[in-house]
Amino acid sequence: MIYPLIAIVLLICIYTVRHYLFTLNRLFGFQRHPYIDIDTADWPAVTVLVAAHNEEKVISNILDALMAVSYPQEKLVIVPVNDRSTDGTRAIIDRFAKAFPGRIRPFHRVTGKGGKAAALKDAMAMVETEVILIFDADYVPARGLIKQLVAPFFDPEVGGVMGRVVPLNAGENLLTRLLDLERSGGYQVDQQARMNLRLVPQHGGTVAGVRLSALREIGGWNDKSLTEDTDLTFRLLLAGWKTVYQNRSECYEEVPETWPVRLRQIMRWAKGHNQALANYGLRLLFRPSLASWRERLDGFLLLGVYIMAPITLLGWALALGVFYQGTIALQGVVALLAFTSYAAIGNFAAFFEIAAAGQLDGSARRVRLLPFLILGFVVSIVGVSRAFASQLMAPLTGAQFHWDKTERFRRTS
Amino acid sequence: MSPHLAAAVLCAVTGVLLVLPMLPAILELRLKKDAAPLNVVQQYAGEIAHFAHGFRDSVQRMAPLVANCAATGVNAHPTLKGGDACLVLGKNDATALSSPTGKEPTCALVVIAAADLTLPDRTAFLKEIYAAGKLTGGEECAYRAIYGEGDIVLGRASKLMRWVHAAGALHAEPDCDLYGRVSSDREIMLGAGCVFQRLHAPRIVIGTADGGAAEACASPRLADVGGREKMDALEPRRVIEGDFEVQPGEVVAGNVVARGKVRVGAGAILLGSLKSGKALVIESGVQARGSVISGDRMRIGEGCRIHGPVIAERGIEIAAGTRCGEVNALTSVCALKIRVEEGVTVFGTLWAREIGHAGRGA
Repeated sequence: MIYPLIAIVLLICIYTVRHYLFTLNRLFGFQRHPYIDIDTADWPAVTVLVAAHNEEKVISNILDALMAVSYPQEKLVIVPVNDRSTDGTRAIIDRFAKAFPGRIRPFHRVTGKGGKAAALKDAMAMVETEVILIFDADYVPARGLIKQLVAPFFDPEVGGVMGRVVPLNAGENLLTRLLDLERSGGYQVDQQARMNLRLVPQHGGTVAGVRLSALREIGGWNDKSLTEDTDLTFRLLLAGWKTVYQNRSECYEEVPETWPVRLRQIMRWAKGHNQALANYGLRLLFRPSLASWRERLDGFLLLGVYIMAPITLLGWALALGVFYQGTIALQGVVALLAFTSYAAIGNFAAFFEIAAAGQLDGSARRVRLLPFLILGFVVSIVGVSRAFASQLMAPLTGAQFHWDKTERFRRTS
Repeated sequence: MSPHLAAAVLCAVTGVLLVLPMLPAILELRLKKDAAPLNVVQQYAGEIAHFAHGFRDSVQRMAPLVANCAATGVNAHPTLKGGDACLVLGKNDATALSSPTGKEPTCALVVIAAADLTLPDRTAFLKEIYAAGKLTGGEECAYRAIYGEGDIVLGRASKLMRWVHAAGALHAEPDCDLYGRVSSDREIMLGAGCVFQRLHAPRIVIGTADGGAAEACASPRLADVGGREKMDALEPRRVIEGDFEVQPGEVVAGNVVARGKVRVGAGAILLGSLKSGKALVIESGVQARGSVISGDRMRIGEGCRIHGPVIAERGIEIAAGTRCGEVNALTSVCALKIRVEEGVTVFGTLWAREIGHAGRGA
C-alpha cells in the first residue's frame, strides 16, 4: 500500500512544482507576446465559424459584435454553424444573413452526429480561406479581436491560436465568482506561462483559430472527441505545428451559473481530456515527432491534469489505509508527512497561482474569495472522478458518445 | 468554571478561529466590491491615433470659438471640459506661449492654433497642442502631445512624451526622442539619431532619402519569378530541425520553418514566409514575398525587399536601402528593440516595444 502512495505523492509533487514554475514565470520571467504588435498588414481572408446549438438567447449578440469588428469587410466571412437547433436560432441567423448579404453565410445542419466537432466538420464545406476562427455563440468579440487572432498566422510555424476568455457574468453568484478566479489562473498564469516557456498553450476551441492547411494535414476535426480543442492541440503538436496563446486578445464569455451545469461541463471536459490522454499520451512521450522534449513533457502533464483527480482520491484512501494498518512503519510516516505537506503546500501552489493572476489583472479584492475555492476544488474532484469512473465502466455498460451542451443564462438577447 | 461552560467556550473559540480566515471572503461575497467582470475594452481596436483623434474631437467642439479667433486674429482663454486652461491663438504668434516659471521656458496651457503655428526653441509644453495648419517646432523642445491638421516639423533634439499625429507629413529632425505613438496620414521622416517606439504612416523614411539600393541589387525582381502569392495559396511548409542556410541567389518556394539559426544568402528570393527559431541573418538584396520571423534576433542587410510582416522576439537591425511593405500593401516591423539605418523605408508600422534607434549609430 505504501509504494503506490509514495508514487502518488511524487506525481502530486510534480504538479505542485509545475504550478510554482508557471506562477513565478508570470511574475518575474520574460513575457512573450510576439504577434500582438502586428497592427498593419496585408490581411488574409478569414472565415469565422460560430458554433450554435439552441442559442437564441445569445446568437444575436455575437453576430452584432462580428459585424462591428475592425477587420477588412471584404476579407471576412461569418459562418454561423446552426447545429440542429430547435429554438429560434435559425430565424435569428437568417435575419442577420438577410441584413448583411455576403458577409454572413449560414450553415444550417438538421441531421447528423451530435457535438461541436461533428458540426464544425460538416461546416468545413463552407470554408475557402486559409485562416479559420472559431467562436462559441455566447462570446462577444471586441472590435480589434479578429486582427489579433489572425496576426500569429503570419508565422508559418503557427497552426493554432488561442485568445483569453473573460467571464462576463462573473458577479452573479458564488459559483461564477469562483469560475472567474479559475479562469484568471488558467489563462493569465497557466496559458501565458506556457507561451513564455515555449511549452504547449492549449487550444480552447473558442476565441481561437486554426490554419486550414494544418487542419487538413492532421485529418480535420475529430468528431469522436468530446473536447475537440484538446484533441486539436495535441494533433497539431505531434505534426510539428505550434499553438500560440495571445493573452491580450480577450473576449467575454458566459460561465455556468448553477452547480449541476458546471458539474456536467467539467465532466465533459474530463472525459474529453482523458480520451486525448489515451489517444496521444504514449505517442507524445515515446514516438518521434517534431515536438521538442519540453513540449512533450508539458503536453503529457497537461493531458494528465484530469486523471489526477481520481489519483488524488486514491491517494487519500491509501493514506487512510496506511494509517489504519495499525503499525505505521517509518516509510509510512514519511509518506503521510509528504501527503499532508502536499495538502498544505501543494494546494497552496494552485491558490498562489490564482492570487498571482488576480494581482496581474489588477483585481486584488476578488482574491479574498480564495478560501471558497476549496468548494470548487471538491466539486471538481468528485465530478472528474465520476467522469473517469463512467469512462472505465463504459465498455461494460455500453454507454454511447454523448455531448452535453452547456446551458446559457443570458437574460437579454 | 463548569465543564459544560469550558466545553462551550472551547467550541466557540475554535469556531471563531475557523471562521476568522474566511471573514474577508465572506465580506467580499456579500459586499461584491470586486465582482464586476474584468475590463475588456470592446470598442478600442488599438488604433495608433486613438488618443489623437479623441483630442481632435474635443477641439472640434470649440470650432466656432477657434473660427472666430482665426477671423479676428485675437487670442482667447477658454477652459476645457476637464478643467484644463486653454489658449486659442488667433494668429501665428508664439509670444503668448511661454511663462518663465523656472530655468526653462514652460507652457502649461493646452494650445490651440487656429492657423499655422511656429514654436520657440527650448520650451516645454506640458499640455496638448493642436494646430489647424502647419506646426513648426523649435529646437530642444519637450512636448506632451501634438495634433496637426497639416504638416508637423519637430525641431532638432526635441522630446515627445505621449503622442503626435499629423494629418499631413511629419518630419522629426535629428536627435529627437519620440516616446509613445507617432503617426501620420501621409509620411513620417525620421532624422539620424532619433529614438522611437511606435510609428505608423503609409510611408516611414529613415534619414532624408530612400537609399535606392533595392533597385541596385543584382537578383531578379519578384515580379519576374511569378505573381504575388497570398497566404491562401501557399505551398506546404518545410520544417528543418536544426540550422538552415539559403544559398546566395537561390529561389526558395513555399514556407520554411527552421528551429535553429538561419542565414539567407545575398540576392536570394523567398516566395513564401520564413521562420527561424533562433537568430536570422538576411544578407543584402534578398527579396521575400511573405513574412520573416525570428524567435530571437534578426539582421536584414542592405537593399532587401520584404513584403510581409517582419517580427523578431528580441531585436531587429535593418541596413540602408531596405524596404518593408509596399505602397499598396502596408506591413508591420515589430520587435522589442529596433535599429534602422538611414535609407530604410517602411510602409506601415515600425514598432519597437522597448526602444528603437534611427540612423546615426544604428
